[in-house]
Amino acid sequence: MLLHVNPASGVPTYLQIETQVKHYIAAGALVPGDALPSVRKLAADLRISTNTVARAYQDLERDGVLRTVQGGRTYVAENPVSFLKSERVRRLRPYARQIAVEGTQLRLDPREIMELVQQELDALEEVNERTGDLERKTR
Amino acid sequence: MNELAIWSEKLVKVYPGVRAVDGLSLNVPRGVAYGFLGRNGAGKTSTIRMLLGLAKPTEGRGTVLGFSVGREQVAILERTAYVSESKALYGNLTPRELVRFTRGFYPKWSDQAVRKYSQLLEIPMDRPFAKLSQGNRTKVCLLLALSQGADLLVFDEPATGLDPVVVDVFLRILVEDVVGEGRTVFISSHQLSDVEQIADWVGLIDHGRLLLEARLDDIKSQFRWVTAAGTDLPQTNFPEALLVAAEGNFHKYLVKKDAEAFAAELSRQGATVAEVTPMSLREIFLALVRMEEQCTPGNVGEIAAAVSSSF
Repeated sequence: MLLHVNPASGVPTYLQIETQVKHYIAAGALVPGDALPSVRKLAADLRISTNTVARAYQDLERDGVLRTVQGGRTYVAENPVSFLKSERVRRLRPYARQIAVEGTQLRLDPREIMELVQQELDALEEVNERTGDLERKTR
Repeated sequence: MNELAIWSEKLVKVYPGVRAVDGLSLNVPRGVAYGFLGRNGAGKTSTIRMLLGLAKPTEGRGTVLGFSVGREQVAILERTAYVSESKALYGNLTPRELVRFTRGFYPKWSDQAVRKYSQLLEIPMDRPFAKLSQGNRTKVCLLLALSQGADLLVFDEPATGLDPVVVDVFLRILVEDVVGEGRTVFISSHQLSDVEQIADWVGLIDHGRLLLEARLDDIKSQFRWVTAAGTDLPQTNFPEALLVAAEGNFHKYLVKKDAEAFAAELSRQGATVAEVTPMSLREIFLALVRMEEQCTPGNVGEIAAAVSSSF
């Protein structure tokens, strides 16, 4: 797994890690059962404190995205998203707001904005299907 | 207090004519990479020297790894590796001889570490120290510190003279072999970027006083710029928000906590909130230092001039 963090940005480093792991999972690049690098390995690769990586893994585990087995190895969980619908909506709302504000600012009408979101959803699905095919072929 | 690697309470150091350290209270947890950041002359080196028993505090007290500063100096020095700002060692000895000379002082010394790090850092082991470049001298000091098996490693401006590749190698060693093993790293520096990369805790010091001490990710989660436009914007009852710039109807605030709530309050009072943006450590550092230096009650306008405004 390759991650990239930018410590000079205003976004907390552990959040950058969480976002990228979630993105890889959403795009099918990481699938349930895949092993993640150890805290120490990832910290050394990224030159960031082990405590920062541990915090990201703990958050992801609490959210049901990852699971750590006895012995300390960490894997992508079987059913990644398990919160209540209301919680999921709460988390997504800021992004939805940003899309609405930016879109309006750029003088796109609501239909065009929705279309863009739909295209992104389609693209994700396509990637998912392709990775699925690839896996079936390799197995 | 014992779970802290370094603890101090109202530490003061007065040199003739200068109050170098002015009531510094530090709390450095064990097992973290702590960045001790400040401008030149902010009091970083004086603080370190007092903590390690190399200078006597004028006032205040502290502990290092649970041992009392001043009274249990030997216990502290046995368990602490220290690379000073000057990076000076015996000039006519080679690094190999310096290793042989140093190893006897430390019960937990590791020759294996010497072999590993002298290779990773590419140190010419058989040239006299005095004939080495500044960068190589720094590397020898780092090598000796890393090989002591210390529980606490204190570095004062460790990157002096090092090229970016060596800095990167050094950071990797710190993460993997020091913090990764639960030991504590305390790096004093005015170079924000290297420290920002590995530090999970930071303390910002200026004029001998601590401006801020917290987990770096928490600081980044909480500090925000809030820019807004509106007439008669409130001098609100938000203690965590500071007006740093004003131009016509436009206002720029530094908010230390609860920025969203503050923005909502501004909106309620009729302002248009343009943006709530995260701040990098560099921005936070500059804003806090400039405020500390310029802020007297009632001269918000001058702070406004000092903290860059980008309207």
